[in-house]
Amino acid sequence: MSTPSTNPNDVLKRRTEDPSDRIATGMDCPESHQSLHQGEIESSLDQAKTARFSTTTDAFWGGVRDGRGAPAMVLFAGMVGFGAMGRTNGFDVWFTTATSFLMFALPGQIVMLEMILLGASSLTIALATSLTATRFVTMTATLFPMLHVRDRNKALYAKVHLLAMTAWAVSLKEFATMEPKHRLSYFCGLGLLCWLISIPGTAVGFLIAGSVPMPVTLGLIFINPLFFLLTFTEIKVSGYRLAILLGSIAGPICYLMDRDTSLLTAGVVGGTLAYWIDRKWIRRYDQVKRGGV
Amino acid sequence: MEAITANLSSAFAIEQGMWEWLALIAASIGTYACRALGAMLSGRVSQESEFFRWLSAVTYAMVAALTIRLIFLPVGMLSTVPLYLRLIICAIAVGVMLINPSRRLVPALLIGTLLMVAVGIVQAF
Repeated sequence: MSTPSTNPNDVLKRRTEDPSDRIATGMDCPESHQSLHQGEIESSLDQAKTARFSTTTDAFWGGVRDGRGAPAMVLFAGMVGFGAMGRTNGFDVWFTTATSFLMFALPGQIVMLEMILLGASSLTIALATSLTATRFVTMTATLFPMLHVRDRNKALYAKVHLLAMTAWAVSLKEFATMEPKHRLSYFCGLGLLCWLISIPGTAVGFLIAGSVPMPVTLGLIFINPLFFLLTFTEIKVSGYRLAILLGSIAGPICYLMDRDTSLLTAGVVGGTLAYWIDRKWIRRYDQVKRGGV
Repeated sequence: MEAITANLSSAFAIEQGMWEWLALIAASIGTYACRALGAMLSGRVSQESEFFRWLSAVTYAMVAALTIRLIFLPVGMLSTVPLYLRLIICAIAVGVMLINPSRRLVPALLIGTLLMVAVGIVQAF
């Protein structure tokens, strides 16, 4: 995904294109808002006075409409693939569907399935899935300052569950085109749609996985690994690219050493090493190249 | 038809016990806590901070380790597909993604999935 512009004028111009064109990818958030400074968020609050919606209900349905495009389609496919994964790995339909309902975060859901299969302890599983969910911290922290002050109250803690990659990326792009007071309704419409299609998506994937011919099931369980792999090609920050590379190397090594906790250790070891190398050498080199301090 | 009925009748059986559900509830709480924490910190913390950079790096590394596991050492059905075929399909899908200047994900994902279906059809014979 290209870095979302927070300049309302740019976004307005881009709206003439098909808004559903761009796909929200699973893990591209941290780099995407590197260019998103606090000041820009504030300015988009002030500048965007375009009356795109007349009422909050209108804004809600606007969000639902925007969710019907390609981003939600990919999310749905991922959930169908997740359901098929649950079925072929011997999970029951209740557990698989409840996972989508309660967690609503595909990478974390698959980490959990894998770790249960490997026989990891509940504590390790909770720790690893929570670590994959830390991307939500940065995502909410960048999106919510754009909401109207009145909407930033306790009730927001109920609505925050609707936030996932798809709704975040679309909202960040579309918020600049509407008045702040309509943004929360828009986000709820979009997020609710994404969340609600995930549950039947998972159930459908689970139920068809054993009923359709074997090759189709094979295709379904391949969707998510391939999706993750493809999103890696969109990451442009060299430190994070290094993290992906080192995680890929650390993964199999940790797996051979201790299967139960391999994902957790691979992530912490690979990620920390990449962070350290990035901080020690890459960023310094970039600064020298730019002629800075 | 019989296979479908058999599949559907077994589909609603309960397989998971207490500790799996416990793991799910703990994982859900952890995931929700991250969302809530973001809402709490919104507008008060810089995403450029070193701590967030480290967290992002760990997340990327963990999802990369997961992806490599799923592709190289899959458990279950994918393991019936030879490794070299899995790798060729991945290479083609990534190639489709990189050739397209606008980096559209849908065609690459669709082609990769359909190729895997095709491999399954060939294997069935």
